[in-house]
Amino acid sequence: MRNESCDIFCNVVDNYGDIGVCWRLARQLANEHGLAVRLWVDDLGSMARLCPETDAARDIQQCRGVEVRRWIKPFPEVQPAGLVIEAFACKLPQGYIEAVAAQQRSVWINLEYLSAEDWVHGCHGLPSPHPSLPLTRHFFFPGFTSQTGGLLLERDLFTRRDAFQNDTVQQQAFWQSFGMDMPSAETLKISLFGYENDALHDLFDAWASGAQPVLCLVPEGRILPQVKRYFEDAGRDSSRHGDCVGMNPDLQSCNLLVRVQPFVEQERYDELLWACDVNFVRGEDSCVRAQWAAKPFVWQIYPQHDAVHWGKLQAFLNLYCAPLSSSASEAVHGLWKAWNQENGAGQAWSVFIEMRGELELHAQHWARQLAANNLALNLLDFSQKIGRMRALEIEGQ
Amino acid sequence: MKIAQDLRVGNVILVGTDPMVILKAEYSRSGRNGSVVKMKMKNLLTESAKETVYSADDKFEQIMLDRKEVTYSYFADPMYVFMDGEYNQYEIEAESMGDAINYIEDGMPCEVVFYNEKAISVELPNTIVREVVYTEPAVRGDTSGKVMKPAKINGGFELPVAAFVEIGDRIEIDTRTNEYKKRA
Repeated sequence: MRNESCDIFCNVVDNYGDIGVCWRLARQLANEHGLAVRLWVDDLGSMARLCPETDAARDIQQCRGVEVRRWIKPFPEVQPAGLVIEAFACKLPQGYIEAVAAQQRSVWINLEYLSAEDWVHGCHGLPSPHPSLPLTRHFFFPGFTSQTGGLLLERDLFTRRDAFQNDTVQQQAFWQSFGMDMPSAETLKISLFGYENDALHDLFDAWASGAQPVLCLVPEGRILPQVKRYFEDAGRDSSRHGDCVGMNPDLQSCNLLVRVQPFVEQERYDELLWACDVNFVRGEDSCVRAQWAAKPFVWQIYPQHDAVHWGKLQAFLNLYCAPLSSSASEAVHGLWKAWNQENGAGQAWSVFIEMRGELELHAQHWARQLAANNLALNLLDFSQKIGRMRALEIEGQ
Repeated sequence: MKIAQDLRVGNVILVGTDPMVILKAEYSRSGRNGSVVKMKMKNLLTESAKETVYSADDKFEQIMLDRKEVTYSYFADPMYVFMDGEYNQYEIEAESMGDAINYIEDGMPCEVVFYNEKAISVELPNTIVREVVYTEPAVRGDTSGKVMKPAKINGGFELPVAAFVEIGDRIEIDTRTNEYKKRA
């Protein structure tokens, strides 16, 4: 039994992670699998940053094959879709849940956060019978192994990526769209998308004083004030960088040139990752995209107040670094930990970049390996299986 | 009402119209501020067991059950046998013992929980003291209690303890979470 319609519920908590994942999933289900998708979002302003044609003032609109609906209170009376996806346990409206229970037709899935921790294997796909109503939701965990739901990957992503990376004309057009000439071959191109990070100063120092020219592209975001402060500080203390400080009003310090980019939509961000040699990413969605870019990357994990994010970071490092040589593994561990501890990133960088050749090969192999476990396909298979099982149960009653 | 995060082995909750006893509960932090609780539960009407998962803040109606103070007597595979002050014996299946199985000792005081006059689970004191029978040598200098290492207690159960704990030390354990609390 195939579900022809899908409701995705997204509660935007902060940043663009939640809506980023939901928007990707919605488009994939609609455009690649032909489902009629309604995406319910409580903050259309965030949605509009990712999809500029979204009108944040409109309650109902079509965007790229998806019906985008404002999630309002009280929630309107609607016919629940065949497949209901609750993103990140965002709590569906009570009236909607009751409608799902009444019609006994929908498959209800809670799409959880991404984690490489072992416990996820034991929870993926488990039922969660409702405490008071006759319906069951199922927990679906994205992940990096075959015991999880996999990762979101568009059908044509690798084809587009490879075409971009093998086509100088496309690359030139990309750089020109940012008002730049294509960087020289000897320039190391780095994208830097991050939360606030005190290690930035140290890292910029390392890039500025390194032998290789570095072009750092910073998408607009939470790290921007620290980027600006670095150059303001440098301007006040010209002895630190010698005469080259302030030569370029667009943030240049010795061998480091920083360009701040406006916030870009998802497809453009992918191109940025493909165009760069090393990518610094944050949170969940950009971390996955960096893996698809198949380039060395550095992950700033979402920090949690009780420090549980360290276990999550280590779990991913263990998986990601397992095939690497010990020196490359140490280099990745060193820089990722320094970046997340916000301390000592400059020294760790020099070790990391020494291993660039091995890390590039590994990133390519890693992306190919992960691609075998496609979240959207798994989700649809899973929902069909649940639907079949329920049909058998109903028949048996 | 009780949230999933606060449910313990032996608690009985209503799921739909079915009374379910919690056989196992494992709490895990997912992303951001989300948490999940994986629970094995048994339907007290049909005796069928199943694994489930809930958000930590999902709410359940808890069924309040009769309890009786008992002491552990002996194991007669697959039943654990307890005795009250009037020498009445109560049997609990190994599967229904939950994490209590890690700490049970002859003569240990605990509470047996009843549903419809049938003993269905056992609850231990929240804190118990056990001797460490094996652990790697203590790490000198670290007295913070933040650095952990595995240790085996009498009975064979292994849990993380502070790095300064040594063989022969007696430690306090929270039986609800299986966590080391401090040296006794």
